[in-house]
Amino acid sequence: MLNEFRFLTLLAVLLFWLVPVQGGTLHRGLGPEPDALDIHLAQSLSALNVLRDLHEGLVTLDAAGRLIPGVARAWTVSDDGLVWTFDLDPAARWSDGSAIEAGHFVAGWRRAVHPETAAPMAGLLDAVAGANRVRRGQADSHALAVRAEGPGRLIVELERPTPWFAELLTHPLTFPWSGDQSRLYSGPFVLVERVPGARIRLAANPHFRAAQALGLDEVVWHVIEEPSVELSRYRADQLHITETIPPGRLQWMREQFGEELRIAPYLGTFFLAFNVAREPFVQAPGLRRALSLVIDRELLTERVLGSGEIPAWGLVPPGMPGWTEASRAEPLTMNERIARARELYRQAGYDDRQPLRVELRFNSSLTHRRMAVAVAAMWKQHLGVETRLVNEEWKVFVANRRQGRITQVVRGGWIADWRDAGNFLQLFQSDSPLNYTFFSDPVFDERMANAAQDDGPSRLDWLRSAEDRLLEQAVVIPLYYYVSRHLVKPEVRGFEDNAMDIHLSRWLSLQ
Amino acid sequence: MLKYSLKRLLSAVPTLFLLITFAFFLIRIAPGGPFDSERALPPEIEANLEAKYHLDEALPLQYLRYMWQIAQLDFGPSFHYLDWTVNDLIAQGAPVSFALGGLALLLALAIGVPIGAWAALRQNRVADYTVMSIAMIGISIPNFVMAPLLILLFAITLGWLPAGGWAFTPSRMALPVVTLALPMIAYIARITRGAMIEVLRSSFIRTARAKGMPEKTILFQHALKPALLPVISYLGPAAAAILTGSVVVERIFTIPGIGSYFVQGALNRDYTLVMGVVILYGVLIILFNFLVDLVYAWLDPRIRYDEQEA
Repeated sequence: MLNEFRFLTLLAVLLFWLVPVQGGTLHRGLGPEPDALDIHLAQSLSALNVLRDLHEGLVTLDAAGRLIPGVARAWTVSDDGLVWTFDLDPAARWSDGSAIEAGHFVAGWRRAVHPETAAPMAGLLDAVAGANRVRRGQADSHALAVRAEGPGRLIVELERPTPWFAELLTHPLTFPWSGDQSRLYSGPFVLVERVPGARIRLAANPHFRAAQALGLDEVVWHVIEEPSVELSRYRADQLHITETIPPGRLQWMREQFGEELRIAPYLGTFFLAFNVAREPFVQAPGLRRALSLVIDRELLTERVLGSGEIPAWGLVPPGMPGWTEASRAEPLTMNERIARARELYRQAGYDDRQPLRVELRFNSSLTHRRMAVAVAAMWKQHLGVETRLVNEEWKVFVANRRQGRITQVVRGGWIADWRDAGNFLQLFQSDSPLNYTFFSDPVFDERMANAAQDDGPSRLDWLRSAEDRLLEQAVVIPLYYYVSRHLVKPEVRGFEDNAMDIHLSRWLSLQ
Repeated sequence: MLKYSLKRLLSAVPTLFLLITFAFFLIRIAPGGPFDSERALPPEIEANLEAKYHLDEALPLQYLRYMWQIAQLDFGPSFHYLDWTVNDLIAQGAPVSFALGGLALLLALAIGVPIGAWAALRQNRVADYTVMSIAMIGISIPNFVMAPLLILLFAITLGWLPAGGWAFTPSRMALPVVTLALPMIAYIARITRGAMIEVLRSSFIRTARAKGMPEKTILFQHALKPALLPVISYLGPAAAAILTGSVVVERIFTIPGIGSYFVQGALNRDYTLVMGVVILYGVLIILFNFLVDLVYAWLDPRIRYDEQEA
């Protein structure tokens, strides 16, 4: 009797706290405070996630992350792949009920590339003819080759064939723009409340072209920086979906949450990068390869990191078109690899009496520290390398890494902007501002240039051969592929794992 | 008193000026800049950004521009949270931090002073040792341990209170206020106890007792006021610190106060935001130290600021 009473009291208390969570309001973890809810200024993943709920581009994504028509009902591409014509959905409306017209895209794209806007991601539009010159201030924004033909048709001319162009159109940077003053939304939700550092509340947009299909009245994105804090709020039933999970407790999480824990491949790769312009790594592919061979990725991902990461031997993650899971598996066993590595290490002129001394630099974080300690231990154990670990505060680290004046081996990584292998490989082109390996190789550059000229099926062959070259030269040590990690309450419907880890709230509902 | 107050407030101007100047140049000397990120920006975009925020100008010119700006109480746009100005961020966060800190302060005083005084009256007895041991534990347990423990107990296991999030409601405020107040209660109790013991031994209390004054009157009318002096001097800087928020408590309870801006602003090299919170903190420190001196004069009749000049 007493137990029953206590149970009922507890239930009542719990229900009381659950009340705001029920009805049509979905509570989602967002991660850190977004840098900007402006489609042209946003850079952080958290901002992009919210913007994708508030706005919609020509093309959008379904729950599984596949491309589907958005504001554009249909589109055609000219035979040479250079002219894209979009027919807009006449039902597409801004949140005040007025029609979304082709001119709104023209205005948005012009603002995106205008130097005064200083949009950090403006380079994404470089595929469009004229964009690069406008961005550099060498041409007026009217030189951007995008034009409206009446309110319902948008015509875009590209610099060169860009097979992944449709993919780019799901990025908020390419969304329509209603003007500086108006606060209109083209997406399924509108912004109703924003408290910096706390939450962003969205309500269903009645003028959205598919408003009747929305399963939610409200979405609240909660700003939570600490994964452990997010976890405790999830356990206290204050969140339906978390942005991530705390590192290193995978086993416990599996037991505790079972089906609620969703771990899925994510288009990102974590690697260590050599500065090949500084000794001891100049012209030393053998030495670099030796350092890569002796790292036991399985041990690293299972024992050291333990958040479901996938061991990596290649740069481009599985799930990318043309890259299958097995394509980059290392054929040698660990013992064979160690023997091979020792040989290469000796050939490079090092041995036990004269060991390699190297500096491994990473930004301060618990996960990175554990990774670095493990890597240094493996280098020491199998080759006798003396590693100095240097951890730096984030801003200092990225500045040093970019300048490359003092770096030897640095923590690196990349997450796909769009689903194309070229997005990963372009980092290592000699003219890339993102190339912190300072790898400058005519063979690699030529293969990348060939891929850029090609929009047929042989394009992927060029990209694969470029990746081969990169791995053969051992410019990076791929360690693991990222995974997306969420906790999703059983009452949430419509959540599908996908490699882009984009889960638009419009596909979600509560049971 | 008025003359003294004016003098004190005027002397705050050069202090603040020095603080702003030091902070302005220090944060800019730090390696890395506001626009460094995982994805290095193309040089032309970085140039556009620097032009937008006047970072391409000579440092002295930037300094003069900034001083002119803050003279008009405009702290400028945040470099990292692009949708907000620093004024916006402080205006939204400060009330939260002030409410939280203020309540924690009141709670700490309401509990810390009585138990400190009580322990002093039972000096070296079991009650005294018990209270002081608990206080020692309170000081020793850092709030990043205390907060998750409280959450685990009250939010996850018992389900009585929410695990985090913020609203001006008792249920949302209870855990963070208690977490903030616990170490302060302990400090205040220890300080009060020490001061009280000393006061109770002084000759004016002995005189009062000799006159046959009731113990209650001795305690509340005569002993408590001077015993509070050290508590008050502790409270000045402590109040400024607690009102500007606690990074740890704000993070663990996801509270949108200004405490995390001290850390986030510095880590992000968000120059304007760092300056904004540093100035706010400086002003509060100066203000509270001034208030402490005024309260001193009220509590201790021997302190008279203006007479020295007469």
